[in-house]
Amino acid sequence: MLTKTQLHDLYYWLLLNRTLEDRIVSLRRAGEIPGAVQTSRGQEAVSVGTSYALEKDDIVAPLLRNTGSLLVRGFKPEEILAQYMGKGTSPTRGRDCALRMGDLKRGVVASSSSLGSLVPVVAGIALASRMRRLGIVALTYIGDGGSETSDFHEGLNLAAVQKVPMVLVLEENGWAFSTPVSAHAASTDFLARAHAYGVAGFEVDGNDVVEVYETTRRAAEHARNGGGPALIVAHTMRTGGDSGPHDAWFVPKEAVERWKSRDPLRVYEQYLDDGGLVAAEERSRIAEQVRAEVDAAAALAGSRLLPDGIQALGGVYHEI
Amino acid sequence: MKSDRIRKTTPRRTVARKLAPEVPNDIPHVAVAAAPGIEPATYREMLRFMVLTRELEDRIERKLYRQGKIVGGVYVGRGQEAIGVASCIQTEPEDVILPSHRDMGAFLIRGMSPRRILAQYMGRVDGYTRGRDGNMHMGDLDRGVIPFVSMLGDNVPVAAGVGIAFRNRKKPHVVLCYFGDGATSRGDWHEGMNLACVQKAPIVFICNNNQYAYSTPLDFQMAVKNVAQRALAYGIPGEIVDGNDVLAVHEAVRRAIDRARSGFGPTLIECKTFRMTGHSAHDDAGYVPEVLFKEWELKDPISRYRQYLVEHGILRQDEIEAMQTDAVREIDGAVEWAEKSPYPEPEDCLNGVYSEK
Repeated sequence: MLTKTQLHDLYYWLLLNRTLEDRIVSLRRAGEIPGAVQTSRGQEAVSVGTSYALEKDDIVAPLLRNTGSLLVRGFKPEEILAQYMGKGTSPTRGRDCALRMGDLKRGVVASSSSLGSLVPVVAGIALASRMRRLGIVALTYIGDGGSETSDFHEGLNLAAVQKVPMVLVLEENGWAFSTPVSAHAASTDFLARAHAYGVAGFEVDGNDVVEVYETTRRAAEHARNGGGPALIVAHTMRTGGDSGPHDAWFVPKEAVERWKSRDPLRVYEQYLDDGGLVAAEERSRIAEQVRAEVDAAAALAGSRLLPDGIQALGGVYHEI
Repeated sequence: MKSDRIRKTTPRRTVARKLAPEVPNDIPHVAVAAAPGIEPATYREMLRFMVLTRELEDRIERKLYRQGKIVGGVYVGRGQEAIGVASCIQTEPEDVILPSHRDMGAFLIRGMSPRRILAQYMGRVDGYTRGRDGNMHMGDLDRGVIPFVSMLGDNVPVAAGVGIAFRNRKKPHVVLCYFGDGATSRGDWHEGMNLACVQKAPIVFICNNNQYAYSTPLDFQMAVKNVAQRALAYGIPGEIVDGNDVLAVHEAVRRAIDRARSGFGPTLIECKTFRMTGHSAHDDAGYVPEVLFKEWELKDPISRYRQYLVEHGILRQDEIEAMQTDAVREIDGAVEWAEKSPYPEPEDCLNGVYSEK
């Protein structure tokens, strides 16, 4: 059972994730963001619930759409905004304008746009954890489309045969960019993959943050206790298109509407109401706080300078 | 409690699910599989090709290689002959096969000649690569044999492409794609399998599970016990057969070919077998426990099949012996022919780089 603080936290992170991304979309439309924007609208419960279930020393490797994971792991809204706006103070010092950023001090491995490529990397981290007896779990994400890549196969197979403490969250959101899952996956029964690789399998409603959190706890404990990797299949839906500039006309309207009615924030609010948990007034206070935070972050990020051309050669290699 | 309206979620499922059946460890020493629909001539042909395959490979590995007459490496399929033979013998001329390096029988059945194969190994101009390669990297598109490449698993996406072409052109042909247990842990294998299966391409995937990927035993390279279990990820049937029982392989492949030709898509057939040699002629397989060789020697596919044929009165002992003698004679002649073939001229090496069609 979640404590009051935890329930409060989950609401805060979900709302911060949503509010921040809404702001990012507005800034993109206002021409403040030079690159593409990939939001997690509709999938926030997966990023938040999984990351929140980890321990402090655990490692997480988010994908472009896992803004919530970055927030939970301590990335400030201002850093994320500065990153999107290409400012010189951003985590990549203005070299990249998407969430391809990490910070090993905060246990976050930077993502890559080549989907699937993080699976072998995270398997390696988990292998190091096992060999050095660090007791940490490494978690990463993959979409239904990314799960058809060779890297996914090799990474998960290696993790399975080496029985490493890895948690792989498969966000089944129905679409790989514009390709529906039925057109790209030979079997849409993603849980069956757990049997194909010999790992523990969990299936979860990805729009239910409590269920995601509790399942991830169980999966992480299984991995931490030497049971080998766990695959969590989270069913969800991208309700904001693939990326900012286009409108996802290829997704049937009914599907989007159906999933919007199951919006993760609404599902969670309903849960809180039903259980009489975090009262509506308190939720308004949290919403107020989140809005103020995002406003301040946007103002701060907006005031930062773009990187100086002369700096472009710095930071190319790791500075020891 | 959450309201019913919101709570309409996919029910959670437990992981306990029916797995692919296990093959008993004590495979009987005599073939017992029923073999419906096999023509009498096919029984004979299967033995002939198995015997010829063994004779050819033994000659290459145990004689010519040791005499220094082979220019490249030697990878044979001793103990695995039943798989290539029982499957490929069911192909039609327009079908396409993508053999692995353990499927010499499949090359022979498609009409590639022992003498040119020997010339290939000896690096002569009459080899299938005109002396450019001294190994299994050979094929013949006119005979529907796509050449083998050493990056194992790479042939799976190629097979998917051939199968999709057949399907798109509404051809009734099938593709037989062979690989080992180690290849199934490779990324190309996954991408190729997924593509072939989502497109329902007419392909039979045949795994020679010989328990070792070079020196890596099976349980060091995958966490599942059976390769057939991997079929679950692609929504296709995964079947396990005794790969040292030529009739069992024949029956499984027959059903899979029927399925593929009828438009139901691929099947994955895992043939449990054992590599009765090292990975290659230069590998003494010191890492393989001796007891495994002894155990599998008793399950030799040729001995078992011979015994079956005699016991069922399909072939007489003297006919089988004559077949053996014929194979030796045929390979003798082929070696003689291949040795007469010259080495390629250096000036010729720029020719044949690209297809001349």
